[in-house]
Amino acid sequence: MRAAMSSFAMAFIVALFFCGMAAAYIASGFAEGLFAGAGRLTNILFLSLVFVMVMAVALTVAERKWSALMQDRIGPNRARIALPWFRGHSLGGLPHVLADTFKMLSKEAFVPATASRFLFNLAPVLSFAAIFALFAVVPAGPTLPVHNHRVSMVIATPDFGLLYIFAIASLAVYGTSLAGWASNNKLALLGGVRASSQMISYEVALGLSLVGMMIAFDTVRLATDPVTGALGMTDAQARYLWTFGSDFGLPAWGIFLQPVGFVLFFAAAFAETKRAPFDLPEAESEILGYFVEYSGMQFGLFMIGEFVEVVILAGIITAIFFGGYHLPFGEATLARWDLFRQHPWVWGAFLGTVFWVKALFIVWIQLLMRWTFPRFRYDQVQRLGWKMLLPAGLLNLFVSGALILWDPSLRALAVVGLFEIGVVIAFTFTSKPAVAARPAAAAAHH
Amino acid sequence: MSESELEAHFPTQNMVVNLGPSHPAMHGTVRMRIELEGETIVKADPEFGFLHRGFQKSAENGTWTQVLPYTDRLNYVSSLMNNFGYLNAVEKLIGLEIPERAKYIRVISSELHRMADHLTCVGAVGLELGGFSAFLYGIEARELIVDRVTELTGARLTTTFGRVGGLNRDLPPGWTDVVLKTLDKISSLAHEVDGLLTRNRIFVDRTKDTGVISAEDALDFGFTGPCLRACGVNYDIRKARPYWVYDRLDFDVPVGARGDNYDRYLMRMEEIKQSDRIIRQAIKQMPVGPVIIDDWRVALPPKPEVYGTIEGTMAHFKLIMEGVQVPPGEVYDSTESANGELGWWLVSDGSGRPYKCHVRAPSFALLSGVTRMIEGQLLADLIPTFDTINMIGGEVEQ
Repeated sequence: MRAAMSSFAMAFIVALFFCGMAAAYIASGFAEGLFAGAGRLTNILFLSLVFVMVMAVALTVAERKWSALMQDRIGPNRARIALPWFRGHSLGGLPHVLADTFKMLSKEAFVPATASRFLFNLAPVLSFAAIFALFAVVPAGPTLPVHNHRVSMVIATPDFGLLYIFAIASLAVYGTSLAGWASNNKLALLGGVRASSQMISYEVALGLSLVGMMIAFDTVRLATDPVTGALGMTDAQARYLWTFGSDFGLPAWGIFLQPVGFVLFFAAAFAETKRAPFDLPEAESEILGYFVEYSGMQFGLFMIGEFVEVVILAGIITAIFFGGYHLPFGEATLARWDLFRQHPWVWGAFLGTVFWVKALFIVWIQLLMRWTFPRFRYDQVQRLGWKMLLPAGLLNLFVSGALILWDPSLRALAVVGLFEIGVVIAFTFTSKPAVAARPAAAAAHH
Repeated sequence: MSESELEAHFPTQNMVVNLGPSHPAMHGTVRMRIELEGETIVKADPEFGFLHRGFQKSAENGTWTQVLPYTDRLNYVSSLMNNFGYLNAVEKLIGLEIPERAKYIRVISSELHRMADHLTCVGAVGLELGGFSAFLYGIEARELIVDRVTELTGARLTTTFGRVGGLNRDLPPGWTDVVLKTLDKISSLAHEVDGLLTRNRIFVDRTKDTGVISAEDALDFGFTGPCLRACGVNYDIRKARPYWVYDRLDFDVPVGARGDNYDRYLMRMEEIKQSDRIIRQAIKQMPVGPVIIDDWRVALPPKPEVYGTIEGTMAHFKLIMEGVQVPPGEVYDSTESANGELGWWLVSDGSGRPYKCHVRAPSFALLSGVTRMIEGQLLADLIPTFDTINMIGGEVEQ
């Protein structure tokens, strides 16, 4: 029964992804008919608002539900809708989204008397806006003809691609440090200082971890430019390193080429999201966090901003390391189906679903980590960033660069990458069981 | 003129932060006034008294039996140990020997509550370091113990179990079988906590070499229990001066080496396992028989005697109205509670009420040591340190 319900829920979510992406393609195609570039405007609506925002809002409940699953409890089920049909059903905790929204919107937006009013109100906006703009360069689907117009499922395709992500991500630090400063609260100030030092430290490792991918694919773009056809990272991964059979083999995904880069990027980006184990800026049991003075929707912006970051980080990782919207194999075979050939938007919606399912998996991994690990200490986070991630990133860069120069087909890089993955798996499965404290044989008598 | 005279010094001053009395990391309601230089603690000043209830004075106004409910509120996480510790001291003052079965039941239920106390402590360490899952596994296990205690005493928290001379009731039928099953479940949950924390790199980094106290300092501050043993001092009253039936039970006392947070955590994890051993043996050895002595000057007579005989009625009346007539004298007696030596200094003037009732609460000494343990360390280290000493507000602020 439970397995059936879970399978149904998963199928339902996948179907929702499909419908959303199909709608996005059709709307974009229609809009392109009005004037060139209008499709990008509908993409803002569908990708940023519908997909990222709805996923982030759903995550507020999903996080509670999933953590409940991990911790052997029931999870949110108290909020219920008083309609005759739904009465007495917890609906998987979904009404909690409504309850949270109403609570936050109806609370007083309290500003401490000694706070700097302008900066205090500006901080949540700055923090949220920077995060929200991050998704612009991530492609969620292929470029296809719909209604005789070329439609690309991405908001913008600047030639500086990844650099845009680094630039905008570093803007988010202003929001958090301003929030800590403007509150005129000592604990919030500590949080703000922690947040800014942590985010600035991890910028370096964040950028360095992706340089290997940049030189491997010779681009900083994520999406392929629809005009010039310059290949982006996502499409560059859609080929085989080795083929076994006609349409089966090892894809040139970033995770196989740059496993170290992936781990470094994941750790650094995770630190940027300021979620556990990197949640020192809020550290609710020590300093209560940089947003301790915020209430209502201003606090809500900080909170939902974290979830938006989780979704966007998952999207970026999917695009860079997991082949984006491409299937690992069999894509060429599937693309020859009549249905897909005659209705390209169905093919686009299918690949878009692939993208979001991968992203959802990465989101799940992030939540798994968040609910398993304790929090770092302030100096330990800095040590991890500067003394481990940064040297590892440099080493990875030199090794990768040498391998790419030696073998431009990337096969040497993939062999080393697979070896690294194998080492990690071997270490994981050969770890010894926990050593408990040795009890003293007999107690001395005092 | 030296160089330094010309240097313009940036005028800085230390920041004073209040943690508490209402703060997630301050168990009970302790206020910590902390002077910070950056994130380093220059000076920490614990201030307590927000939970003060006047326990010692209240005790003088009730009969010896009426003090028992107040003892529930001392260490409210493991109230049975307070109950039995107090009763043991009163019995020593009278010079009573309680029945065998009562001794075994006291050991079993004390050890159950020791496990509950340690599970709460270990879970809270996880919680406040940000690992919420470990906390809920610990609490799930504690909840099972609370259920067993409820079956035994009728209360979840304020147990008021046992009477002078033994126990007020025998075990419920089938209770020991459920306890054995509960122990199986608890050890599997403790294993989960172990897996989540013990070898977790972040957890080890956070707790190892933080909140260190040397054995000499620990002894000077009057540390006892797991916190003292974590420093390498092998002192456990159950072994050093066995009471009840601890000398007939085979168990080990874990001893640490470094006296840091990690060792204190390990002590508690190991003691959970040892308590499990003790309970299993005690259930096997437990004889059948009375659970309270048959002396109507101390224990209430059975109800048919109260309602049917004049002697029973008289004994009941005298015990309820005047209390147990404890001979004049004074006594110090201590038992090993979850946090250390729970000592009682009782003075009787023969009036049926305590003349003086002083509690040597283990947490009081532990709280005094916190200042020594965290000064010069980072603010973030205060959290695991405060957790692993497991200070219980109700015990410190009587």
